[in-house]
Amino acid sequence: MTDENETDKPEKKSVGGELILPAAAFLFTLYYFYTILDVPRIAQVSAFFVGTILIVLVTILGVRIAKQVKAGEADLRLGRILEPKSYIPKRLALLGLTVGFIFFVDWLGFTLTVFAFLTLAMLLLSEGRRKVLILCLSTVLAFGGYLLFIVAFKTRFPQGPFEKLMEGLI
Amino acid sequence: MEFDPALFVELFTRTFQFWWVIVPAIFLGLVVGAIPGFSAANTIIILLPLTLAMEPEIGLVFMVALYASSRMGAGIPAILVNIPGTAGAAATPLDGYPMTKQGRGQQALAISFVSSVFGGLLTTVLTLLAMPWLSQVAFYLHSVEMIVVMLFGISLIASIAARDTLKGLIAGFFGLMLGYIGADVVYETPRGTFGFLELYDRVPLIPALVGLFAVSEAFAVIEGESILSKRGREAMQKAGWAETFEGVRLALSKWWHIIWTSIIGLVIGVVPGAGAAIAAFVAYQQSRTYSKTPELYGTGHVEGLVAPESANNGVTSGTLVPLLVIGIPGGATAAIMLVVLQYHGVTMGPDLFMDNPELAYGPFAAMAVTYFLMIFTIAPLARYMSRITVVSTTYMSPIIISFTLVGAFVPRQYMFDMYLALAFGVIGYVARKTGYHTAAILIGVILGPLLETYFLRALKISEGDIMVIFSSNLGNILWVGLALSLLLPYLFQLRRAKQEAA
Repeated sequence: MTDENETDKPEKKSVGGELILPAAAFLFTLYYFYTILDVPRIAQVSAFFVGTILIVLVTILGVRIAKQVKAGEADLRLGRILEPKSYIPKRLALLGLTVGFIFFVDWLGFTLTVFAFLTLAMLLLSEGRRKVLILCLSTVLAFGGYLLFIVAFKTRFPQGPFEKLMEGLI
Repeated sequence: MEFDPALFVELFTRTFQFWWVIVPAIFLGLVVGAIPGFSAANTIIILLPLTLAMEPEIGLVFMVALYASSRMGAGIPAILVNIPGTAGAAATPLDGYPMTKQGRGQQALAISFVSSVFGGLLTTVLTLLAMPWLSQVAFYLHSVEMIVVMLFGISLIASIAARDTLKGLIAGFFGLMLGYIGADVVYETPRGTFGFLELYDRVPLIPALVGLFAVSEAFAVIEGESILSKRGREAMQKAGWAETFEGVRLALSKWWHIIWTSIIGLVIGVVPGAGAAIAAFVAYQQSRTYSKTPELYGTGHVEGLVAPESANNGVTSGTLVPLLVIGIPGGATAAIMLVVLQYHGVTMGPDLFMDNPELAYGPFAAMAVTYFLMIFTIAPLARYMSRITVVSTTYMSPIIISFTLVGAFVPRQYMFDMYLALAFGVIGYVARKTGYHTAAILIGVILGPLLETYFLRALKISEGDIMVIFSSNLGNILWVGLALSLLLPYLFQLRRAKQEAA
């Protein structure tokens, strides 16, 4: 009987996640207003104009969500942001690798960092399967990227030991 | 600036002789257009020594061909992996990417190529014929009107890109506020920079684009085996040349759509600074408004792909009009062309059309020939390009993250820009997962500095009186249009709800 009642109940919509961006926008707007307090009025007008509209819009959304929560149609759980939950560790590990990539590319240069990042990230996402394929793919992509962007297009990518060695050899 | 058929025939014949410059420029443009961070403008700058060493006419043909094909190239990753190569292609994934997910990537590319080529070709010819009148458009839009145009742009994108207009507006206005970051142009006061010197020069667009579209997408797609649905993968595996021909047929069946949406692009392109992104969104919105099946937009609808692709290629010839007629470049690439031509001693303005008509009309002839040659060089590639979508996300996501993050570094060469791209990636990820469209944020970031500049200009003229924004007749008409565009859908919805309740 209890089970039947539970299945009949309409599922509540999780709207907490929908508040993250408006909250960030709201806080940023307040911070922005703070940074322009001392500038001449003429330079404040457009920011106050746009910022005020943004605050009004965020308030309307806040009221709308509050009404939904009060009516029992929604709750403040984060919902879709964390779903599917089984992917949270993978996603966080990928984020960590990405931060590491940006941190190391300054010293190791484009080719070596891309190779290391591609290998580690692909191994992470494939859960350690197809190691040989991943190693080959990472090598080809990193070296191919070096040839295309740095050698052919002369793009000023971050340079490291590999690029300097190749420059010396060429 | 009078129409002389003999001159045009001679120009086209002559330009065809430069096919050996145009064809390599087409392929180079496709590559640089498809990679976020590698704009046509940057490539022309890198190749400046080569361009300056060429004869002015050949150099101009090369730059124009690269420019036109990069516009088309930007649509390729937008359709296949939901990452626009440039901001001008930000509206392309709205219907292009859903088509790809259904396994119709090849068809979508063919539709994009045909719309781009015919839209670009048509507007180039129209520009040649209507040059004297088109050049007047920019004169009617002053700072006050431009303020409304910018806000109109945001409201259009908000209503198009998000299912919920309120959320779309929040995303757009948040983007505008982010676009306001930096030292102000007049008083040099840093605003909203969190103390980062790298932000004094405003939020750079490429890291914002890379983060909002590429990084956020790469983090979102790892949930699936590939970006295609199961049915999509099956469809893609069966796809042959017939899919390309079907795409061409579908696009050509929308010939009227190509015509009028590319004209929207042309008119918007003439306004300096308005750009391809606004044109593509306006064309998309207009296309949906007048469609018999507006509910299909956003689900992989052919017209929803034709409209932005025709419009952003219509912009290409439009941006050259103010450059050639009044010497004001309509965009970054046009500005570089101005520098190269000035280096060769060519002075822009009305006199150019009397003194050197070959050079004045030459860019349009080059553009027309480029678009014509693109039909034969690019369309056959759709079948092979679309194969990228069957690559597993295990490999795709890391490749997207690493290559696009380095792309964010390229324009300014600040390590900071890669962190900034990652920060925008987080914003984009949250936006995707909670129904705030990333395109609305990006367009806000693009329009923010422009809106502020026009505001400052208007306020300076009026000595600080805010009511100046209602001081022009054309501006007031646009204000009414803006209010109606926001209110009418809401009122229609209310009326429908009442009718259903009754």
